[in-house]
Amino acid sequence: MYKKIISFIVVIGLLFAVTIYSMITGSIDITARELISGLLSGTNENVEIIKDLRLPRIIISLFAGASLAVSGVLLQAVLRNPLAEPGIIGVSSGAGFVSIIMITFFPALYFYTPLFSFIGGMIAFLLVYMFSWKSGLNPLRMILIGVAVNALFTGLSEFLSSQNASSMMSGVSVTSSTLTMTTWSDVEVIVLYGSIGLILAFLVYAWCNHLGLKDKTLKNLGFNVNRPRFIISVIAVLLASTATAIAGMFAFIGLLIPHIGRTLVGNDHKLLIPFSALAGALLIVVADTLGRTIADPIEIPASIIMAIIGGPFLIFMLRKSDRIYGN
Amino acid sequence: MEIKDITFSYQDKVKRLQNVKAEIRKGEITTIIGPNGSGKSTLLSVLTKNNQPQEGQVILDGKAISQYKPKELAKKLGVVHQQNTAPADMTVEKLVHYGRLPYKNTFSPKEDKDEKIVKWALESTGLYERRNEAIDTLSGGQQQRVWIAMALAQDTPYLFLDEPTSNLDIYYQYEILELVKRLCDKHGLTIVMVLHDINQAIQYSHNLIAMKQGKVIKKGDPEKIVTDQLIKEVYGVNIVVKNDDDAGLYILPLGI
Repeated sequence: MYKKIISFIVVIGLLFAVTIYSMITGSIDITARELISGLLSGTNENVEIIKDLRLPRIIISLFAGASLAVSGVLLQAVLRNPLAEPGIIGVSSGAGFVSIIMITFFPALYFYTPLFSFIGGMIAFLLVYMFSWKSGLNPLRMILIGVAVNALFTGLSEFLSSQNASSMMSGVSVTSSTLTMTTWSDVEVIVLYGSIGLILAFLVYAWCNHLGLKDKTLKNLGFNVNRPRFIISVIAVLLASTATAIAGMFAFIGLLIPHIGRTLVGNDHKLLIPFSALAGALLIVVADTLGRTIADPIEIPASIIMAIIGGPFLIFMLRKSDRIYGN
Repeated sequence: MEIKDITFSYQDKVKRLQNVKAEIRKGEITTIIGPNGSGKSTLLSVLTKNNQPQEGQVILDGKAISQYKPKELAKKLGVVHQQNTAPADMTVEKLVHYGRLPYKNTFSPKEDKDEKIVKWALESTGLYERRNEAIDTLSGGQQQRVWIAMALAQDTPYLFLDEPTSNLDIYYQYEILELVKRLCDKHGLTIVMVLHDINQAIQYSHNLIAMKQGKVIKKGDPEKIVTDQLIKEVYGVNIVVKNDDDAGLYILPLGI
Protein backbone atom coordinates (compact mmCIF):
# COMPACT_ATOMS: atom_id res chain seq x y z
CA MET A 1 0.00 0.00 0.00
CA TYR A 2 2.88 2.32 0.91
CA LYS A 3 4.46 1.74 -2.49
CA LYS A 4 1.22 2.56 -4.26
CA ILE A 5 0.73 5.86 -2.44
CA ILE A 6 4.34 6.89 -3.08
CA SER A 7 3.94 6.02 -6.76
CA PHE A 8 0.91 8.27 -7.08
CA ILE A 9 2.58 11.14 -5.21
CA VAL A 10 5.73 10.89 -7.33
CA VAL A 11 3.89 10.77 -10.65
CA ILE A 12 1.62 13.69 -9.73
CA GLY A 13 4.60 15.74 -8.51
CA LEU A 14 6.60 15.02 -11.65
CA LEU A 15 3.60 15.82 -13.82
CA PHE A 16 3.28 19.30 -12.29
CA ALA A 17 7.01 19.95 -12.40
CA VAL A 18 7.45 18.85 -16.00
CA THR A 19 4.36 20.70 -17.19
CA ILE A 20 5.61 23.96 -15.70
CA TYR A 21 9.15 23.35 -16.96
CA SER A 22 7.74 22.65 -20.40
CA MET A 23 5.80 25.94 -20.36
CA ILE A 24 8.79 28.11 -19.49
CA THR A 25 11.40 26.36 -21.64
CA GLY A 26 11.97 26.58 -25.37
CA SER A 27 12.80 29.18 -27.95
CA ILE A 28 11.35 31.74 -25.54
CA ASP A 29 12.73 31.28 -22.04
CA ILE A 30 10.99 32.89 -19.09
CA THR A 31 10.87 32.26 -15.36
CA ALA A 32 8.00 30.55 -13.59
CA ARG A 33 7.19 33.82 -11.79
CA GLU A 34 6.97 35.75 -15.07
CA LEU A 35 4.72 33.01 -16.42
CA ILE A 36 2.27 33.14 -13.55
CA SER A 37 2.07 36.91 -13.35
CA GLY A 38 1.81 37.06 -17.14
CA LEU A 39 -1.02 34.55 -17.22
CA LEU A 40 -2.88 36.52 -14.56
CA SER A 41 -2.38 39.99 -15.98
CA GLY A 42 -2.30 39.16 -19.69
CA THR A 43 0.20 41.95 -20.41
CA ASN A 44 3.46 40.03 -20.89
CA GLU A 45 4.05 39.60 -24.62
CA ASN A 46 6.17 36.47 -24.24
CA VAL A 47 3.53 34.85 -22.08
CA GLU A 48 0.90 35.59 -24.73
CA ILE A 49 3.03 33.83 -27.35
CA ILE A 50 3.48 30.87 -25.03
CA LYS A 51 -0.27 30.83 -24.45
CA ASP A 52 -0.95 30.70 -28.17
CA LEU A 53 1.73 28.26 -29.26
CA ARG A 54 3.09 26.27 -26.35
CA LEU A 55 0.14 25.85 -24.02
CA PRO A 56 -2.18 24.11 -26.50
CA ARG A 57 0.44 21.54 -27.36
CA ILE A 58 1.13 20.85 -23.71
CA ILE A 59 -2.55 20.35 -22.93
CA ILE A 60 -2.90 18.12 -25.97
CA SER A 61 0.17 16.12 -24.97
CA LEU A 62 -1.34 15.57 -21.53
CA PHE A 63 -4.66 14.35 -22.85
CA ALA A 64 -3.18 12.28 -25.67
CA GLY A 65 -0.81 10.54 -23.26
CA ALA A 66 -3.52 9.85 -20.71
CA SER A 67 -5.94 8.61 -23.38
CA LEU A 68 -3.48 6.28 -25.10
CA ALA A 69 -2.20 4.79 -21.86
CA VAL A 70 -5.72 4.14 -20.54
CA SER A 71 -6.75 2.77 -23.92
CA GLY A 72 -3.90 0.28 -23.58
CA VAL A 73 -5.07 -0.76 -20.11
CA LEU A 74 -8.62 -1.33 -21.35
CA LEU A 75 -7.56 -3.30 -24.43
CA GLN A 76 -5.30 -5.49 -22.31
CA ALA A 77 -8.24 -6.23 -20.01
CA VAL A 78 -10.65 -7.01 -22.85
CA LEU A 79 -8.22 -9.08 -24.90
CA ARG A 80 -6.52 -10.61 -21.83
CA ASN A 81 -3.23 -9.89 -23.48
CA PRO A 82 -0.48 -7.82 -21.86
CA LEU A 83 0.83 -6.98 -25.35
CA ALA A 84 -2.40 -5.43 -26.63
CA GLU A 85 -1.98 -1.75 -27.39
CA PRO A 86 -3.88 0.61 -29.72
CA GLY A 87 -0.77 1.23 -31.86
CA ILE A 88 0.32 -2.38 -32.18
CA ILE A 89 -3.07 -3.90 -32.98
CA GLY A 90 -3.87 -1.26 -35.60
CA VAL A 91 -6.59 0.74 -33.81
CA SER A 92 -4.55 3.93 -34.05
CA SER A 93 -3.70 3.51 -37.72
CA GLY A 94 -7.34 2.70 -38.52
CA ALA A 95 -8.37 5.87 -36.73
CA GLY A 96 -5.56 7.82 -38.37
CA PHE A 97 -6.57 6.66 -41.83
CA VAL A 98 -10.14 7.88 -41.42
CA SER A 99 -9.06 11.16 -39.90
CA ILE A 100 -6.78 11.78 -42.89
CA ILE A 101 -9.73 11.12 -45.21
CA MET A 102 -11.79 13.59 -43.20
CA ILE A 103 -9.14 16.31 -43.20
CA THR A 104 -8.55 15.84 -46.93
CA PHE A 105 -12.10 15.73 -48.17
CA PHE A 106 -14.28 17.29 -45.47
CA PRO A 107 -12.17 19.89 -43.66
CA ALA A 108 -15.32 21.69 -42.50
CA LEU A 109 -16.22 18.81 -40.21
CA TYR A 110 -12.98 19.19 -38.25
CA PHE A 111 -14.66 19.28 -34.83
CA TYR A 112 -16.18 15.87 -35.47
CA THR A 113 -12.96 14.22 -36.64
CA PRO A 114 -12.67 12.09 -33.47
CA LEU A 115 -16.11 10.62 -34.11
CA PHE A 116 -15.18 9.58 -37.63
CA SER A 117 -11.75 8.34 -36.65
CA PHE A 118 -13.54 6.34 -33.95
CA ILE A 119 -15.27 4.43 -36.74
CA GLY A 120 -11.89 3.69 -38.33
CA GLY A 121 -10.47 2.55 -35.01
CA MET A 122 -13.49 0.35 -34.36
CA ILE A 123 -13.18 -1.33 -37.78
CA ALA A 124 -9.52 -2.11 -37.10
CA PHE A 125 -10.36 -3.43 -33.65
CA LEU A 126 -13.19 -5.65 -34.87
CA LEU A 127 -10.96 -7.07 -37.61
CA VAL A 128 -8.33 -8.05 -35.07
CA TYR A 129 -10.92 -9.36 -32.65
CA MET A 130 -12.77 -11.48 -35.22
CA PHE A 131 -9.69 -13.04 -36.75
CA SER A 132 -7.99 -13.84 -33.48
CA TRP A 133 -11.15 -15.02 -31.70
CA LYS A 134 -11.38 -18.09 -33.90
CA SER A 135 -8.31 -19.50 -32.28
CA GLY A 136 -9.53 -18.62 -28.80
CA LEU A 137 -7.68 -15.32 -28.46
CA ASN A 138 -4.17 -16.71 -28.67
CA PRO A 139 -2.05 -13.77 -27.48
CA LEU A 140 0.76 -13.97 -30.03
CA ARG A 141 -1.53 -14.70 -32.98
CA MET A 142 -3.53 -11.64 -32.03
CA ILE A 143 -0.42 -9.48 -32.16
CA LEU A 144 0.47 -10.86 -35.59
CA ILE A 145 -3.01 -10.10 -36.92
CA GLY A 146 -2.73 -6.66 -35.33
CA VAL A 147 0.55 -6.06 -37.14
CA ALA A 148 -1.13 -7.00 -40.43
CA VAL A 149 -4.13 -4.72 -39.82
CA ASN A 150 -1.76 -1.95 -38.76
CA ALA A 151 0.28 -2.35 -41.95
CA LEU A 152 -2.86 -2.24 -44.07
CA PHE A 153 -4.16 1.04 -42.63
CA THR A 154 -0.73 2.66 -42.50
CA GLY A 155 -0.28 1.75 -46.17
CA LEU A 156 -3.67 3.18 -47.10
CA SER A 157 -2.90 6.38 -45.21
CA GLU A 158 0.49 6.76 -46.87
CA PHE A 159 -1.08 6.16 -50.26
CA LEU A 160 -3.56 8.96 -49.62
CA SER A 161 -0.95 11.39 -48.41
CA SER A 162 1.45 10.63 -51.25
CA GLN A 163 -1.33 11.38 -53.73
CA ASN A 164 -1.92 14.69 -52.02
CA ALA A 165 1.69 15.53 -51.34
CA SER A 166 1.56 18.88 -53.09
CA SER A 167 -1.67 20.07 -51.54
CA MET A 168 -2.60 21.03 -47.98
CA MET A 169 -2.16 17.40 -46.94
CA SER A 170 1.60 17.65 -46.84
CA GLY A 171 1.49 18.82 -43.23
CA VAL A 172 -0.34 15.76 -42.00
CA SER A 173 1.88 12.86 -41.17
CA VAL A 174 0.54 9.34 -41.04
CA THR A 175 3.18 7.77 -38.87
CA SER A 176 4.23 10.42 -36.42
CA SER A 177 2.83 12.89 -33.96
CA THR A 178 1.52 16.25 -35.06
CA LEU A 179 1.88 18.25 -31.89
CA THR A 180 3.82 21.08 -33.55
CA MET A 181 0.90 22.72 -35.25
CA THR A 182 -1.84 22.34 -32.70
CA THR A 183 -4.20 25.14 -31.81
CA TRP A 184 -6.79 25.95 -29.17
CA SER A 185 -9.54 24.44 -31.35
CA ASP A 186 -7.67 21.12 -31.16
CA VAL A 187 -7.55 21.55 -27.41
CA GLU A 188 -11.33 21.91 -27.26
CA VAL A 189 -11.82 18.70 -29.20
CA ILE A 190 -9.39 16.54 -27.26
CA VAL A 191 -10.45 17.89 -23.86
CA LEU A 192 -14.09 17.16 -24.64
CA TYR A 193 -13.76 13.65 -26.09
CA GLY A 194 -10.75 12.73 -23.97
CA SER A 195 -12.45 13.67 -20.70
CA ILE A 196 -15.57 11.72 -21.61
CA GLY A 197 -13.46 8.68 -22.47
CA LEU A 198 -11.33 8.90 -19.33
CA ILE A 199 -14.34 9.29 -17.03
CA LEU A 200 -16.09 6.35 -18.69
CA ALA A 201 -12.91 4.29 -18.40
CA PHE A 202 -12.79 4.87 -14.68
CA LEU A 203 -16.46 3.97 -14.28
CA VAL A 204 -15.92 0.51 -15.79
CA TYR A 205 -12.91 -0.39 -13.63
CA ALA A 206 -14.84 -3.16 -11.85
CA TRP A 207 -15.67 -4.82 -15.17
CA CYS A 208 -12.01 -4.70 -16.16
CA ASN A 209 -11.19 -6.48 -12.92
CA HIS A 210 -13.85 -9.14 -13.54
CA LEU A 211 -12.32 -9.91 -16.93
CA GLY A 212 -9.21 -11.11 -15.11
CA LEU A 213 -11.12 -14.36 -14.58
CA LYS A 214 -11.91 -16.90 -17.29
CA ASP A 215 -15.08 -16.55 -19.34
CA LYS A 216 -16.54 -19.78 -18.08
CA THR A 217 -15.85 -18.84 -14.46
CA LEU A 218 -17.62 -15.53 -15.01
CA LYS A 219 -20.49 -17.29 -16.73
CA ASN A 220 -20.96 -19.57 -13.75
CA LEU A 221 -21.06 -16.46 -11.57
CA GLY A 222 -24.00 -15.24 -13.65
CA PHE A 223 -21.89 -12.45 -15.16
CA ASN A 224 -22.68 -11.67 -18.78
CA VAL A 225 -19.24 -11.29 -20.34
CA ASN A 226 -20.13 -9.96 -23.77
CA ARG A 227 -21.78 -6.66 -22.97
CA PRO A 228 -19.07 -5.33 -20.62
CA ARG A 229 -16.42 -6.51 -23.05
CA PHE A 230 -18.04 -4.61 -25.89
CA ILE A 231 -18.53 -1.44 -23.85
CA ILE A 232 -14.93 -1.45 -22.59
CA SER A 233 -13.69 -1.95 -26.16
CA VAL A 234 -15.73 1.01 -27.38
CA ILE A 235 -14.28 3.24 -24.65
CA ALA A 236 -10.74 2.06 -25.46
CA VAL A 237 -11.19 2.75 -29.16
CA LEU A 238 -12.77 6.15 -28.46
CA LEU A 239 -9.76 7.17 -26.37
CA ALA A 240 -7.20 5.96 -28.89
CA SER A 241 -9.06 7.46 -31.86
CA THR A 242 -9.41 10.87 -30.24
CA ALA A 243 -5.74 10.97 -29.34
CA THR A 244 -4.72 9.86 -32.83
CA ALA A 245 -7.02 12.29 -34.62
CA ILE A 246 -5.66 15.30 -32.72
CA ALA A 247 -2.11 14.42 -31.70
CA GLY A 248 -1.11 11.84 -34.32
CA MET A 249 0.52 8.47 -33.88
CA PHE A 250 2.38 7.43 -30.77
CA ALA A 251 3.67 3.91 -30.65
CA PHE A 252 4.05 1.81 -27.52
CA ILE A 253 2.76 4.20 -24.88
CA GLY A 254 -0.26 1.96 -24.24
CA LEU A 255 2.18 -0.89 -23.69
CA LEU A 256 4.85 0.82 -21.65
CA ILE A 257 2.72 2.75 -19.17
CA PRO A 258 0.30 -0.02 -18.13
CA HIS A 259 3.24 -2.37 -17.65
CA ILE A 260 5.00 0.08 -15.37
CA GLY A 261 1.67 0.75 -13.68
CA ARG A 262 1.12 -2.95 -12.95
CA THR A 263 4.49 -3.26 -11.25
CA LEU A 264 3.97 -0.10 -9.20
CA VAL A 265 0.29 -0.09 -8.24
CA GLY A 266 -0.80 -3.66 -9.13
CA ASN A 267 -3.45 -5.14 -11.39
CA ASP A 268 -6.46 -3.64 -9.65
CA HIS A 269 -7.98 -1.35 -12.28
CA LYS A 270 -9.33 0.99 -9.63
CA LEU A 271 -5.75 2.19 -9.21
CA LEU A 272 -4.25 1.11 -12.52
CA ILE A 273 -6.54 3.27 -14.68
CA PRO A 274 -5.95 6.60 -12.88
CA PHE A 275 -2.26 5.84 -12.47
CA SER A 276 -1.86 5.06 -16.17
CA ALA A 277 -3.70 8.26 -17.10
CA LEU A 278 -1.28 10.33 -15.00
CA ALA A 279 1.86 8.47 -16.07
CA GLY A 280 0.83 8.49 -19.74
CA ALA A 281 0.28 12.25 -19.63
CA LEU A 282 3.67 12.64 -17.98
CA LEU A 283 5.46 10.52 -20.57
CA ILE A 284 4.17 12.39 -23.62
CA VAL A 285 4.84 15.79 -22.08
CA VAL A 286 8.39 14.65 -21.29
CA ALA A 287 8.85 13.28 -24.82
CA ASP A 288 7.49 16.44 -26.40
CA THR A 289 9.54 18.74 -24.19
CA LEU A 290 12.69 16.73 -24.89
CA GLY A 291 11.95 16.77 -28.61
CA ARG A 292 11.52 20.52 -28.52
CA THR A 293 14.63 21.32 -26.50
CA ILE A 294 17.20 18.59 -27.03
CA ALA A 295 18.41 19.70 -30.46
CA ASP A 296 17.02 23.23 -30.51
CA PRO A 297 16.25 24.81 -32.98
CA ILE A 298 15.47 21.49 -34.71
CA GLU A 299 12.35 19.77 -33.37
CA ILE A 300 12.19 16.02 -32.97
CA PRO A 301 8.56 14.80 -32.95
CA ALA A 302 7.52 13.27 -29.63
CA SER A 303 6.45 10.13 -31.46
CA ILE A 304 10.02 9.54 -32.64
CA ILE A 305 11.28 9.79 -29.08
CA MET A 306 8.53 7.41 -28.02
CA ALA A 307 9.42 4.95 -30.77
CA ILE A 308 13.07 4.96 -29.72
CA ILE A 309 12.09 4.22 -26.12
CA GLY A 310 9.20 1.91 -27.02
CA GLY A 311 10.83 -0.40 -29.56
CA PRO A 312 13.37 -1.91 -27.18
CA PHE A 313 10.69 -2.06 -24.52
CA LEU A 314 8.44 -4.17 -26.76
CA ILE A 315 11.28 -6.63 -27.31
CA PHE A 316 11.77 -6.79 -23.57
CA MET A 317 8.06 -7.47 -23.08
CA LEU A 318 7.97 -10.17 -25.75
CA ARG A 319 10.90 -11.94 -24.17
CA LYS A 320 9.16 -11.77 -20.84
CA SER A 321 5.88 -13.08 -22.25
CA ASP A 322 7.72 -16.05 -23.74
CA ARG A 323 8.17 -17.17 -20.21
CA ILE A 324 4.50 -16.63 -19.44
CA TYR A 325 3.08 -18.26 -22.54
CA GLY A 326 6.08 -20.42 -23.36
CA ASN A 327 4.51 -23.70 -22.30
CA MET B 1 -31.55 -32.56 -10.49
CA GLU B 2 -32.69 -34.74 -13.36
CA ILE B 3 -30.67 -35.40 -16.50
CA LYS B 4 -33.09 -36.27 -19.28
CA ASP B 5 -31.80 -37.89 -22.46
CA ILE B 6 -28.92 -35.52 -23.10
CA THR B 7 -27.25 -35.70 -26.49
CA PHE B 8 -24.44 -33.29 -27.16
CA SER B 9 -21.80 -32.69 -29.80
CA TYR B 10 -19.40 -29.85 -30.55
CA GLN B 11 -19.20 -28.28 -34.02
CA ASP B 12 -17.43 -31.40 -35.33
CA LYS B 13 -20.73 -33.35 -34.99
CA VAL B 14 -19.06 -36.19 -33.10
CA LYS B 15 -21.47 -37.22 -30.37
CA ARG B 16 -19.73 -36.57 -27.06
CA LEU B 17 -22.82 -37.47 -25.05
CA GLN B 18 -25.51 -39.93 -26.14
CA ASN B 19 -28.88 -40.26 -24.42
CA VAL B 20 -27.43 -39.61 -21.01
CA LYS B 21 -29.99 -40.19 -18.29
CA ALA B 22 -29.31 -39.86 -14.59
CA GLU B 23 -30.53 -38.37 -11.40
CA ILE B 24 -28.47 -36.27 -9.02
CA ARG B 25 -29.77 -36.96 -5.52
CA LYS B 26 -30.06 -34.02 -3.15
CA GLY B 27 -27.66 -33.85 -0.25
CA GLU B 28 -25.42 -36.56 -1.65
CA ILE B 29 -22.09 -36.79 -3.45
CA THR B 30 -22.30 -38.03 -7.03
CA THR B 31 -19.07 -38.77 -8.86
CA ILE B 32 -18.67 -39.19 -12.60
CA ILE B 33 -15.90 -41.62 -13.57
CA GLY B 34 -14.63 -42.91 -16.88
CA PRO B 35 -11.57 -42.97 -19.11
CA ASN B 36 -10.15 -39.94 -20.94
CA GLY B 37 -12.54 -38.71 -23.61
CA SER B 38 -15.51 -40.57 -22.14
CA GLY B 39 -17.48 -37.33 -21.79
CA LYS B 40 -17.18 -36.82 -18.02
CA SER B 41 -16.18 -33.19 -18.16
CA THR B 42 -18.51 -32.59 -21.11
CA LEU B 43 -21.41 -33.89 -19.04
CA LEU B 44 -20.40 -31.58 -16.21
CA SER B 45 -20.29 -28.65 -18.62
CA VAL B 46 -23.82 -29.45 -19.84
CA LEU B 47 -25.11 -29.76 -16.27
CA THR B 48 -23.68 -26.32 -15.47
CA LYS B 49 -24.99 -24.73 -18.69
CA ASN B 50 -21.53 -24.06 -20.07
CA ASN B 51 -22.62 -26.12 -23.07
CA GLN B 52 -26.10 -26.41 -24.54
CA PRO B 53 -27.22 -29.93 -25.42
CA GLN B 54 -28.73 -30.58 -28.85
CA GLU B 55 -31.32 -32.88 -27.34
CA GLY B 56 -32.64 -33.46 -23.87
CA GLN B 57 -32.93 -31.30 -20.81
CA VAL B 58 -31.48 -30.81 -17.39
CA ILE B 59 -34.18 -30.16 -14.83
CA LEU B 60 -33.18 -28.28 -11.68
CA ASP B 61 -35.81 -27.81 -8.98
CA GLY B 62 -38.65 -28.37 -11.41
CA LYS B 63 -37.36 -26.06 -14.14
CA ALA B 64 -35.08 -26.67 -17.14
CA ILE B 65 -31.71 -24.98 -16.62
CA SER B 66 -32.02 -23.45 -20.10
CA GLN B 67 -34.94 -21.43 -18.68
CA TYR B 68 -32.89 -19.94 -15.85
CA LYS B 69 -31.47 -16.43 -16.09
CA PRO B 70 -27.66 -16.41 -15.64
CA LYS B 71 -27.72 -14.87 -12.17
CA GLU B 72 -30.64 -17.01 -11.07
CA LEU B 73 -28.72 -20.14 -12.02
CA ALA B 74 -25.58 -18.82 -10.32
CA LYS B 75 -27.54 -18.71 -7.07
CA LYS B 76 -28.42 -22.38 -7.50
CA LEU B 77 -25.16 -23.95 -8.55
CA GLY B 78 -21.51 -23.14 -8.06
CA VAL B 79 -18.81 -24.56 -10.31
CA VAL B 80 -15.09 -25.15 -9.73
CA HIS B 81 -13.35 -25.61 -13.06
CA GLN B 82 -10.25 -27.65 -13.61
CA GLN B 83 -8.18 -24.70 -14.78
CA ASN B 84 -8.60 -21.23 -13.45
CA THR B 85 -6.88 -17.91 -13.86
CA ALA B 86 -6.87 -14.76 -11.80
CA PRO B 87 -4.57 -11.74 -11.62
CA ALA B 88 -1.51 -12.94 -9.70
CA ASP B 89 -1.55 -10.13 -7.16
CA MET B 90 -5.22 -10.47 -6.24
CA THR B 91 -5.81 -11.32 -2.60
CA VAL B 92 -7.59 -14.48 -1.54
CA GLU B 93 -10.39 -12.54 0.08
CA LYS B 94 -10.98 -10.39 -2.97
CA LEU B 95 -11.24 -13.39 -5.24
CA VAL B 96 -13.63 -15.17 -2.89
CA HIS B 97 -15.77 -12.01 -2.90
CA TYR B 98 -16.36 -12.60 -6.61
CA GLY B 99 -18.60 -15.44 -5.47
CA ARG B 100 -21.06 -12.74 -4.41
CA LEU B 101 -21.43 -11.41 -7.96
CA PRO B 102 -24.74 -13.23 -8.64
CA TYR B 103 -26.32 -11.22 -5.84
CA LYS B 104 -25.14 -7.85 -7.08
CA ASN B 105 -25.45 -5.21 -9.72
CA THR B 106 -22.33 -3.59 -11.08
CA PHE B 107 -22.33 -0.73 -8.62
CA SER B 108 -23.96 -2.18 -5.52
CA PRO B 109 -21.82 -2.00 -2.38
CA LYS B 110 -20.64 -4.82 -0.15
CA GLU B 111 -23.14 -5.75 2.54
CA ASP B 112 -22.77 -7.40 5.93
CA LYS B 113 -24.34 -10.55 4.54
CA ASP B 114 -21.64 -10.78 1.87
CA GLU B 115 -18.91 -10.37 4.48
CA LYS B 116 -20.47 -13.07 6.60
CA ILE B 117 -20.74 -15.60 3.81
CA VAL B 118 -17.24 -14.85 2.53
CA LYS B 119 -15.92 -15.33 6.03
CA TRP B 120 -17.74 -18.66 6.27
CA ALA B 121 -16.35 -19.75 2.87
CA LEU B 122 -12.82 -18.81 3.93
CA GLU B 123 -13.14 -20.61 7.26
CA SER B 124 -14.67 -23.75 5.73
CA THR B 125 -11.73 -24.03 3.36
CA GLY B 126 -9.14 -23.20 6.02
CA LEU B 127 -8.05 -20.02 4.26
CA TYR B 128 -9.21 -17.38 6.73
CA GLU B 129 -5.68 -16.82 8.09
CA ARG B 130 -4.35 -16.32 4.59
CA ARG B 131 -7.13 -14.09 3.30
CA ASN B 132 -4.88 -11.07 2.72
CA GLU B 133 -2.22 -12.96 0.81
CA ALA B 134 -1.80 -12.79 -2.96
CA ILE B 135 -3.02 -15.85 -4.85
CA ASP B 136 0.27 -16.61 -6.55
CA THR B 137 2.01 -16.99 -3.18
CA LEU B 138 -0.19 -20.01 -2.36
CA SER B 139 0.51 -23.68 -3.10
CA GLY B 140 -1.49 -25.63 -5.70
CA GLY B 141 -3.69 -27.23 -3.07
CA GLN B 142 -4.38 -23.90 -1.42
CA GLN B 143 -5.21 -22.30 -4.76
CA GLN B 144 -7.69 -25.06 -5.49
CA ARG B 145 -9.31 -24.35 -2.12
CA VAL B 146 -9.54 -20.65 -3.01
CA TRP B 147 -11.62 -21.53 -6.06
CA ILE B 148 -13.78 -23.82 -3.97
CA ALA B 149 -14.20 -21.00 -1.46
CA MET B 150 -15.31 -18.70 -4.27
CA ALA B 151 -17.96 -21.20 -5.33
CA LEU B 152 -19.04 -21.56 -1.69
CA ALA B 153 -19.44 -17.79 -1.42
CA GLN B 154 -22.10 -18.15 -4.11
CA ASP B 155 -24.15 -19.79 -1.35
CA THR B 156 -25.65 -22.42 -3.65
CA PRO B 157 -27.29 -25.75 -2.82
CA TYR B 158 -25.35 -27.45 -5.63
CA LEU B 159 -21.58 -27.57 -6.07
CA PHE B 160 -19.88 -28.97 -9.20
CA LEU B 161 -16.18 -29.81 -9.25
CA ASP B 162 -14.26 -30.80 -12.38
CA GLU B 163 -11.32 -33.01 -11.39
CA PRO B 164 -10.68 -31.09 -8.16
CA THR B 165 -7.72 -33.31 -7.22
CA SER B 166 -5.79 -33.28 -10.48
CA ASN B 167 -2.19 -32.04 -10.29
CA LEU B 168 -2.18 -32.22 -6.51
CA ASP B 169 -0.06 -34.54 -4.44
CA ILE B 170 -1.79 -37.17 -2.36
CA TYR B 171 -2.01 -35.13 0.85
CA TYR B 172 -3.75 -32.24 -0.88
CA GLN B 173 -5.96 -34.65 -2.82
CA TYR B 174 -7.36 -36.04 0.41
CA GLU B 175 -7.55 -32.59 1.92
CA ILE B 176 -9.86 -31.55 -0.92
CA LEU B 177 -11.89 -34.77 -0.70
CA GLU B 178 -12.33 -34.39 3.05
CA LEU B 179 -13.45 -30.82 2.48
CA VAL B 180 -15.99 -31.99 -0.09
CA LYS B 181 -17.29 -34.65 2.32
CA ARG B 182 -17.60 -32.07 5.11
CA LEU B 183 -19.51 -29.70 2.86
CA CYS B 184 -21.95 -32.46 2.05
CA ASP B 185 -22.33 -33.89 5.57
CA LYS B 186 -22.31 -30.67 7.57
CA HIS B 187 -23.78 -28.12 5.22
CA GLY B 188 -26.06 -30.33 3.17
CA LEU B 189 -24.57 -29.39 -0.18
CA THR B 190 -25.37 -31.55 -3.18
CA ILE B 191 -22.07 -32.32 -4.86
CA VAL B 192 -21.28 -33.52 -8.36
CA MET B 193 -17.66 -34.08 -9.25
CA VAL B 194 -15.43 -35.72 -11.80
CA LEU B 195 -12.63 -37.91 -10.44
CA HIS B 196 -9.91 -40.01 -12.04
CA ASP B 197 -9.09 -42.21 -9.07
CA ILE B 198 -11.63 -45.02 -8.80
CA ASN B 199 -10.83 -45.81 -5.17
CA GLN B 200 -11.29 -42.20 -4.16
CA ALA B 201 -14.57 -42.17 -6.05
CA ILE B 202 -15.75 -45.28 -4.21
CA GLN B 203 -14.61 -43.96 -0.87
CA TYR B 204 -16.16 -40.51 -1.05
CA SER B 205 -19.33 -40.90 -3.15
CA HIS B 206 -22.88 -41.90 -2.47
CA ASN B 207 -23.44 -42.47 -6.16
CA LEU B 208 -21.27 -43.19 -9.17
CA ILE B 209 -21.95 -42.53 -12.82
CA ALA B 210 -19.59 -44.66 -14.95
CA MET B 211 -19.21 -43.37 -18.50
CA LYS B 212 -17.58 -44.59 -21.68
CA GLN B 213 -17.69 -43.02 -25.14
CA GLY B 214 -20.40 -40.56 -24.20
CA LYS B 215 -22.73 -43.16 -22.72
CA VAL B 216 -23.63 -44.03 -19.16
CA ILE B 217 -22.56 -47.66 -18.63
CA LYS B 218 -23.74 -47.96 -15.07
CA LYS B 219 -24.87 -45.78 -12.19
CA GLY B 220 -25.71 -46.17 -8.55
CA ASP B 221 -24.25 -47.01 -5.15
CA PRO B 222 -20.52 -47.76 -5.57
CA GLU B 223 -20.70 -50.73 -3.20
CA LYS B 224 -23.23 -52.32 -5.52
CA ILE B 225 -22.09 -51.41 -9.00
CA VAL B 226 -18.28 -51.63 -8.86
CA THR B 227 -17.30 -55.06 -10.14
CA ASP B 228 -14.37 -56.42 -12.11
CA GLN B 229 -16.61 -56.71 -15.20
CA LEU B 230 -17.66 -53.05 -14.98
CA ILE B 231 -14.10 -51.75 -14.67
CA LYS B 232 -12.97 -54.07 -17.47
CA GLU B 233 -15.76 -52.77 -19.68
CA VAL B 234 -15.26 -49.09 -18.88
CA TYR B 235 -11.49 -48.82 -18.55
CA GLY B 236 -10.26 -52.06 -20.13
CA VAL B 237 -8.25 -52.81 -17.00
CA ASN B 238 -8.27 -56.09 -15.07
CA ILE B 239 -8.93 -55.59 -11.39
CA VAL B 240 -10.02 -57.48 -8.32
CA VAL B 241 -12.55 -56.01 -5.93
CA LYS B 242 -11.52 -56.36 -2.31
CA ASN B 243 -13.21 -55.57 0.93
CA ASP B 244 -11.31 -54.29 3.91
CA ASP B 245 -12.89 -54.20 7.36
CA ASP B 246 -11.74 -50.62 7.96
CA ALA B 247 -11.52 -49.16 4.47
CA GLY B 248 -14.56 -50.83 2.94
CA LEU B 249 -14.70 -51.68 -0.73
CA TYR B 250 -11.63 -51.00 -2.87
CA ILE B 251 -10.19 -52.14 -6.16
CA LEU B 252 -6.75 -53.46 -6.95
CA PRO B 253 -5.67 -53.12 -10.59
CA LEU B 254 -3.85 -56.21 -11.91
CA GLY B 255 -2.93 -55.27 -15.45
CA ILE B 256 -4.36 -54.97 -18.91
